[in-house]
Amino acid sequence: MAQAITTSAFHALKGTYKGVVKISLMLAATYLVAQGLSSFLPAADYRSLFGFSNRTAVWVIAELHLMFAAFVLGVPIFAFITEIVGVATKEKRYDELAREFTKLLAMAYTLTAVLGCVLLVLFIVLYPKLTGYLSGLFKPTWLLYIVLIFGEVIVAYFYWYSWDLLQGAAKKWHLVLGLLVNLWGTALLFVADIWVTFMMSPAGIDDANNLVSLWDAINNHTWMPINIHRLLANVAFGGAIVAAYAAVRFLNAKTDEEKARFDWMGYVGSFIAIAAFIPLPFAGYWLGREIYQFSEQMGVSMMGGSFAWLWILQAMLIGGLFLASNFYLWLGMGRIPGAERYTKFQIGMMIVLTIGFIVWATPRSIIASGAEMSAMGGSHHPFLGLFGVMAAKNTAVNLMILTTFFSFMLYRRGNRIPVVAWATAGKAVQALVIAAAAVVVVGYGVYSYFVPSITRIGFSVYQVSAVLAAMALFVAIDIPLLKGASVIGAIRWGQIPARAQYALFFLAVSFTWLMGLMGYIRSGIRQYWHIYGRVMDESANAYTMSHGHATIIVSCIVVIFFLLVSVVFWLAARNDPPPGPRPAGGGDGGSAADAASMPLAAASLGRPGGSGAGGRAA
Amino acid sequence: MKATIAKIFLFMLAVVSLYAYVGQLVPQFEEHPPQKKVITTETPKEELVASGQEILRGKGGCLVCHKDQERGNERGPDLRQAAGKAATRKPGTAAEAYLIESLVTPDAFLVEGYPKMMPPSMKPPANLSMAEVKAVVAYLQSLGGAEVTVKVEAADVAAEKKSSGPVHRGKALMAEQGCVGCHKVEGEGGEIGPELTKVAERHEPAKIAQKIADPTLWTAEGFQTGLMPPRPDMPEGDRQEIAAYLAGLSGKSYSPTGTASPWSHEGVRLGAVIAVFNIVMLLVLGWARAREKSTLSPGPSPIEGEGRNTAGAAS
Repeated sequence: MAQAITTSAFHALKGTYKGVVKISLMLAATYLVAQGLSSFLPAADYRSLFGFSNRTAVWVIAELHLMFAAFVLGVPIFAFITEIVGVATKEKRYDELAREFTKLLAMAYTLTAVLGCVLLVLFIVLYPKLTGYLSGLFKPTWLLYIVLIFGEVIVAYFYWYSWDLLQGAAKKWHLVLGLLVNLWGTALLFVADIWVTFMMSPAGIDDANNLVSLWDAINNHTWMPINIHRLLANVAFGGAIVAAYAAVRFLNAKTDEEKARFDWMGYVGSFIAIAAFIPLPFAGYWLGREIYQFSEQMGVSMMGGSFAWLWILQAMLIGGLFLASNFYLWLGMGRIPGAERYTKFQIGMMIVLTIGFIVWATPRSIIASGAEMSAMGGSHHPFLGLFGVMAAKNTAVNLMILTTFFSFMLYRRGNRIPVVAWATAGKAVQALVIAAAAVVVVGYGVYSYFVPSITRIGFSVYQVSAVLAAMALFVAIDIPLLKGASVIGAIRWGQIPARAQYALFFLAVSFTWLMGLMGYIRSGIRQYWHIYGRVMDESANAYTMSHGHATIIVSCIVVIFFLLVSVVFWLAARNDPPPGPRPAGGGDGGSAADAASMPLAAASLGRPGGSGAGGRAA
Repeated sequence: MKATIAKIFLFMLAVVSLYAYVGQLVPQFEEHPPQKKVITTETPKEELVASGQEILRGKGGCLVCHKDQERGNERGPDLRQAAGKAATRKPGTAAEAYLIESLVTPDAFLVEGYPKMMPPSMKPPANLSMAEVKAVVAYLQSLGGAEVTVKVEAADVAAEKKSSGPVHRGKALMAEQGCVGCHKVEGEGGEIGPELTKVAERHEPAKIAQKIADPTLWTAEGFQTGLMPPRPDMPEGDRQEIAAYLAGLSGKSYSPTGTASPWSHEGVRLGAVIAVFNIVMLLVLGWARAREKSTLSPGPSPIEGEGRNTAGAAS
């Protein structure tokens, strides 16, 4: 036993050390390449990359780095939550699921770090003047970032390599490691956001751009809103990518057991993605509000100026996400005995989602010929124009969120019937709560038409609060309501149509494209400024490109990302154990949990003290 | 398996292409940064009006909220009526003064029904000079069909901002490197060497950067040759930064072109710290290996091979 523990500890340390060496070598290579190129290339404020646009080069690499960073920050949050659930419920399948996610991380970390190093070289070489200025301002945060990178690498690698070592009574220490991975990761995110948000909403510098207060520069208007927005988005993104991974594995599954396992994994992934996705628009409102507070002009440029048309695209994406999420839940209800009771609600929910989608995607100005515009009396349609403003769009999205939440609650209740004495009253209160939130949302939506934009944007807070409060109250009632509920039948994991898996894949692609688009908008609203209002972009690429051009670049980034992610998935799947003997009863509907925990059980067989599922990981 | 992967890949391409296609359907336009306008006291009125229109529609960003023709935004007042109503807007303030005030300190008086939302035009992001503000006023006056009365004064032109680029680290570097111990800059520093505030008027900034490394390039009149220590050890980027700072003091626009990255010094120091850290970790690993060996039984470990697999798989 002691021998096994010592060996596991050695291998955990060895694995961690590999991570440290890897990151050290990457940093050294970055330094040497950056220094070498800086000395070799002719002096300039801006340089191009072998004739390729410096802006596009930085954009593509930065976005890919951001996507992988979101993945490697989102997945540990996901894994940690799942691991806690596993400890709390004592169901090994959760531990196995968390382990499966974490397995994807090592390769993803390496790719993220490589992309980060390339990005740093590009900044130093292609934008030496701006990088020099920012480095001077934020030197302490750069050093902190490097310390955090090493901390993250050490903790994350140790978290992975010590999975077998810290089982049983030592599991709590593994959970502590999981917590540390997430704390370090979040700290990394927050530090990286400093530079990006300073460029958007600079603070802490005087009229001559000299640093006055480092803390003010860090704690600028958009720093905390973007921190929160990205944190939530990372969880949603991580969940969506994991669900896509499960979908691919489901579609390639050869046995019912495999299908059950990956169906369940896809469900958990999509659940966490949707759960994090629902509050995301609220964080977006906060960010929008802070942008307006910082600069009304920047806010108006973003929402009503040259970038306004991209919000139509965003509406289409988010509308698609809502529809796909609900579609997946409704298809999933097909494998829940008793859920057919709620099929009748689907038509109503579909109508709300569709109308919401249409309203949200209605442009303020209509693309029309001169004759059409004179017939309309301007570029705004006399009737449809009313739906093109934020008053209508905020209302639509809040109702869509409420509907999706309701859909999920029905899914959750699918095979259960409350048995508590106050069940009828409880359900009535829940219905009232949802209705009241809808009334508040619609009420403020209508009132918004009669107030100026600066007041109107404040109303979104009330709408959001009403929806959040309704959701919280609904869940607070739901938990005791379903306590001891009678179960109609077990969920038949694996018995879901293949198109549901395509819905999961659609979610992942749309999330990724949405991230690319929003990243472009966030960065693009600085227009011809490197640092808004302070440091002008004097390069040939200072112009704001056409939307068509931008969306093609975003699409290319998304395709590259999925190709790279496929490599990560392929490497992870390649290391799967060969199919071994499995306990009976896997695919019969009620034993999916057993099916999911089988590989772990199989791997644990014959291990001294159950200490090593290491073979499983391999 | 391959067919499923191909289907998934095609599905992904179809979704991405759909989004890219919708991106082509929305209006397509490029927005270019405003061109720099040269406005002097001699600029003819017609040209001043044209410059004002260009600033209002471009650099000033006024049309984000206002309109100066039939179509446009209505978040702020209609600019076609601005000059006509200016005389009666604020009691005791003449039309031209009111228009200038409404641009420079817009919150000083708000037109009824409009919130406090306009950014001062001489602050970022518009960052107009007074000459540019007056050009906008000239355009506003012309819009209302009134006589263009506004005049650009010499002081308005002199106050025009020279550069919007990043502030250079030159000032801080001169203090850090001890230059101000001997040289006076902006009224502060020693008098052993020549005063450097306007040195860039006499020498090209690039030459100043070279002179720091090699002081024998020239010696200012009245000062002893060989007194200044050569500083070839100072990073090229730092020398360029100092030159850029001194150039700015003489009103010249010069960019530090930095032939070395900003971390040339710190990078080496940081690398040393990281190397030490790696060695420490290696020692810890060696210690763990020794412990493992000491606890190993004579026979082969039943899980050694698996451990190797684990490490290999995840790495």
